[in-house]
Amino acid sequence: MAFNPEEIKSKLVVKAVRNVRKGMAKDDASRGMYRPEVKMDLSRSRLITESYKMTDGMPMVMRRAKAMDHILNNMPIYILDWERIVGNQAESPDALYFGIDMNWRSVKRVVSGEEGKTLLDDAGRQEMAQLIEYWKGKSMSDRQQSAFTGDVLKYWHYDGTMLWSHWSEQGVPDYEKILQGGLRGIIKEAEEKLDELDRTVPLGYIDKKEFLQSVIIVMNAALNFARRYAALAREMAQQTPDEDRKKRLLEIAETCEWVPENPARTLVEAIQSFYFIYLIRYLEYSTLGIGIRFDKVFGPYYEADLASGAITRKEALELLQLLWVKIHEIGLIYSPTLSGIYGGVASLQAITIGGVDEQGRDVTNEMTYLVLETAETMRSLEPSIVLRYHDKTPDELLARSVDTLATGIGYPSIFNDKSLIPMLEKWGVSPDRARDYCVSGCVYIEVPGANVTRRAAGGLALAKCMWWALHRGVDPKTGEQRGARTTDPNTWTSEEDVLNAYFEQVRFFFDKFTKIENTCRELYRKYLPRPFYSGIMTEGIQKAQDCRKWTDPHRLESFVVIMGVTNAADSITAIKKLVFDDKTVSMAELLQALENNWEGYADLRQMAVNAPKFGNDDDYADDIAVKVHHGTSDVLAEFTDQWGFPWKGDGSGVSGTYGLAFDCGATPDGRVLGQPFADATLSPIQGGDSNGPTAVLKSASKISTSRTYNHLLNQKFLPQYVRGDMKPVFVDYLRTWGDLEISHIQFNIVDRQTLVKAQRNPEEYSDLIVRVAGYSAYFVDLSKGLQDSIIARTEQAF
Amino acid sequence: MGSGFKTGGGQGSIFNIQRFCVHDGPGIRTTVFMKGCPLRCQWCANPESQQPGPILITRDVKCVSCGKCVEVCPTGAISFDQNKRRIIDWELCNQCLKCAEVCLYGSLGGCGKTIGAEELVAELLKDEPFFKRSGGGVTISGGEPLVQPEFVLGLVEALRAKDIHVALDTSGYAPAEVFARLADNVDLVLFDIKHLNDQKHRQFTGVGNQKILANASYAAGHVRTWFRMPVIPGFNDSPEYVRQVAALCSDLKVEKISLLPYHEGGKTKFQQIGRTYLLPDVLPPADEHIQLLQNIFAEAGVQTSVQR
Repeated sequence: MAFNPEEIKSKLVVKAVRNVRKGMAKDDASRGMYRPEVKMDLSRSRLITESYKMTDGMPMVMRRAKAMDHILNNMPIYILDWERIVGNQAESPDALYFGIDMNWRSVKRVVSGEEGKTLLDDAGRQEMAQLIEYWKGKSMSDRQQSAFTGDVLKYWHYDGTMLWSHWSEQGVPDYEKILQGGLRGIIKEAEEKLDELDRTVPLGYIDKKEFLQSVIIVMNAALNFARRYAALAREMAQQTPDEDRKKRLLEIAETCEWVPENPARTLVEAIQSFYFIYLIRYLEYSTLGIGIRFDKVFGPYYEADLASGAITRKEALELLQLLWVKIHEIGLIYSPTLSGIYGGVASLQAITIGGVDEQGRDVTNEMTYLVLETAETMRSLEPSIVLRYHDKTPDELLARSVDTLATGIGYPSIFNDKSLIPMLEKWGVSPDRARDYCVSGCVYIEVPGANVTRRAAGGLALAKCMWWALHRGVDPKTGEQRGARTTDPNTWTSEEDVLNAYFEQVRFFFDKFTKIENTCRELYRKYLPRPFYSGIMTEGIQKAQDCRKWTDPHRLESFVVIMGVTNAADSITAIKKLVFDDKTVSMAELLQALENNWEGYADLRQMAVNAPKFGNDDDYADDIAVKVHHGTSDVLAEFTDQWGFPWKGDGSGVSGTYGLAFDCGATPDGRVLGQPFADATLSPIQGGDSNGPTAVLKSASKISTSRTYNHLLNQKFLPQYVRGDMKPVFVDYLRTWGDLEISHIQFNIVDRQTLVKAQRNPEEYSDLIVRVAGYSAYFVDLSKGLQDSIIARTEQAF
Repeated sequence: MGSGFKTGGGQGSIFNIQRFCVHDGPGIRTTVFMKGCPLRCQWCANPESQQPGPILITRDVKCVSCGKCVEVCPTGAISFDQNKRRIIDWELCNQCLKCAEVCLYGSLGGCGKTIGAEELVAELLKDEPFFKRSGGGVTISGGEPLVQPEFVLGLVEALRAKDIHVALDTSGYAPAEVFARLADNVDLVLFDIKHLNDQKHRQFTGVGNQKILANASYAAGHVRTWFRMPVIPGFNDSPEYVRQVAALCSDLKVEKISLLPYHEGGKTKFQQIGRTYLLPDVLPPADEHIQLLQNIFAEAGVQTSVQR
């Protein structure tokens, strides 16, 4: 019954979104937002609409639970010929999930226009229009728009400074606990808690009771969902003449009859149980990637199966390959504006391997290596692999990871326990839980099982804040005072003056940002309870309330994605160098040059380009970058969320460093209007680093992780530098990166020529994967502009 | 101290510092390239390093034809043709480098600068964390480091005082006592063996090899030594000749020899500094040929590596 890997690989469906916007402007939009074979599935939208119509007037949490019950009991399900792990979120493998309850306006535009008309046929468009009738005024985006007034409304309108991604909420469940107890364990806990409530009738009795009843409804729906697959598998097994297939189907039936209800006993059961839970989370709430510490969770099951002879390594590898195909099936529909930020993304699913456990012991096991082998054989967009690094990461694992990187797929990305665990502790996470952190999405740091509901609340273009400082908050086109009325640049005499004006702009816009976000959170709390997710978090049942109504000390919720920070820093450095130190130009002349987008000021622009840049281990530039990072972090922390936690920055710039830069005018670092920002929080500006890869790391190490936030750093190497004789050197380079306590690094191992060729002959390079931000993407799905920005990254050689 | 060495400070002349070098000794290294070389190897890949003082180096592709250089040139050596292409009359150029100072676009640059020992040490220590992890360190190359023996010795001592592994990359062309004094103080010598025949050596490098071979022998007997051999087709790449080199390696018990196949990198550089390249028709040796030479060394029990 074995498949060959190429056969399994051929089952991968590509649902990555193509970036069709930069800011509000179109960007290669005629390509369409998805590959033509991708379709939109309306079944979840249809079922949730039917359910909502039936539950009008009930408590919201109950309505959400009943909607899930209706969806899970009636969604079209399928088992494909080759599958061993089953479950689906849309009616066919090539179909996309659509959360009509969240946002329908932009999606309606997409499927009616050039960008997405292949997603639906006319009948589909008609049905969608009917469904939308119900959601007018009721979808989350409708509710937001009617809730926004005054300032919040004014700044919610995009001007290139901030952008929203309200829908995205991560959160990594405590899979170890769930797999050990099964969902039956959670139902039992909820029933006991209900009994306790009845005995005590505490404050909030009714709300709590309704919540727990909702959890029981949704958990039972989940069990029934699994039973439907079991029944289908048995029925199909009876009909098939193929013995191999029959055997596979009977195994599926037995597995789905047992999990996720009961504790998993084998690797197959553990993975199937995980996949159901994973899928149902997506079905309950449309979100970007959710993560898992894959080797830590599944290693013990795998090793037990190996020991008992229940599975061979080869069989386990195939099982993972089949799971990879299922994970790849999960996709999302994006709005065109968001496509500018998530260019090439399907749903940003990440799998974490390595690192330490709660007691600080290295978790590397047989499963760790199996994951890497799966990744290499599948070469798929998702899941992206994250390697957690610490001093005791085995040399063998590091060397093996470099082999995976050498294939050019852009992962594993590497995260440093040595800086991230202290950062989490500083944020108030207890040491044991900090050690258990897991990565979701691209670089989101989470604590499994904690009430995370991690929200990528949106993005803030820091280079644009710098630009506002140069304009005293006035939009030169309209004369409108949109930002803060900061000091006149002509009066600046020191870098402190510039920094203060910049920080004031960050403060001004971030104040608006948090108000918008708080408004949204109120709406989510009221209209979008998540009984399934709330039920599977460690303390969910004991708190007896929806996840949005209570908090715990480990909450890592309030983040803003920051972009263009290097450009802001290098801009200040250029001003210091040219205006204050060398006095080669007056501030007035520099402003004039920027106003003219450097046109007619080629020499001055070149001087700005020649000014010291972050990434060369040159303190002149790096000291300012440190002040910008640390100071920006302080400004963000001046604002607390509704639970009292300070806001934090986040390095997950996705492709927003390209998309958001479109609306930012010329900056003193030599950047012209629309030119992409540096591609990550720790990355030098494109071409700004000329002292090699060690200098980049030294510069990056000057920015303290625990003083700031989780970062992202892209590096590009030629393939020959990670192979043969060079591999041990590369491993030493990585270990030094670890010693320098830089929180993150990831690589594009590809030569420029290949990228240029792929841009010219996309049909020959349909499989070429590149690292964009915290994720990998098919190069051919990116717009030419975004491709160019990746080609422009400095190629490190030695 | 002897030989008139004065160490600890002073000014040296360098033309480059390159970090993350992985071919100039073990581990991850920073290589400092000293300026000035008594040899004139025809294949030289860094001809800009030969003169002791700073010289003009041009990069035509970066020229934006702004004409600032023409304005500042005191000898009228720079002009532009009707296609706005810059032309330098190297006969007229007096290497004052005024043009390099005003060129914003990196099209005209000065190659070479003097630097204080302290500043240089600080710069070379920047990658110390990488040295420690990888067993790397600093390599002093050139040019020919032995041309500035006092400065280099001071540098070596300052680095070793900080526990940094130091390699000396040299042609070996220096008085015996100068060579020995330096070699005794480094952790590794990378020693160029260009040709064993004195006549040929003189013909292609401008100097004879007697001092060099004596120093090679000294190095191999006193300090960890790796030989390096540029493989120049038609000059030193015949199997018969290479057998002699292998025999020498074997006699002197050098740890290994690195083969550096000829490449045309120097060709452009000669143009960039207004000089004529004397090896215009030589093609890089084929991989198969390099493999064949490696086999010869292997037969003699000598370890090889190839650096492209």
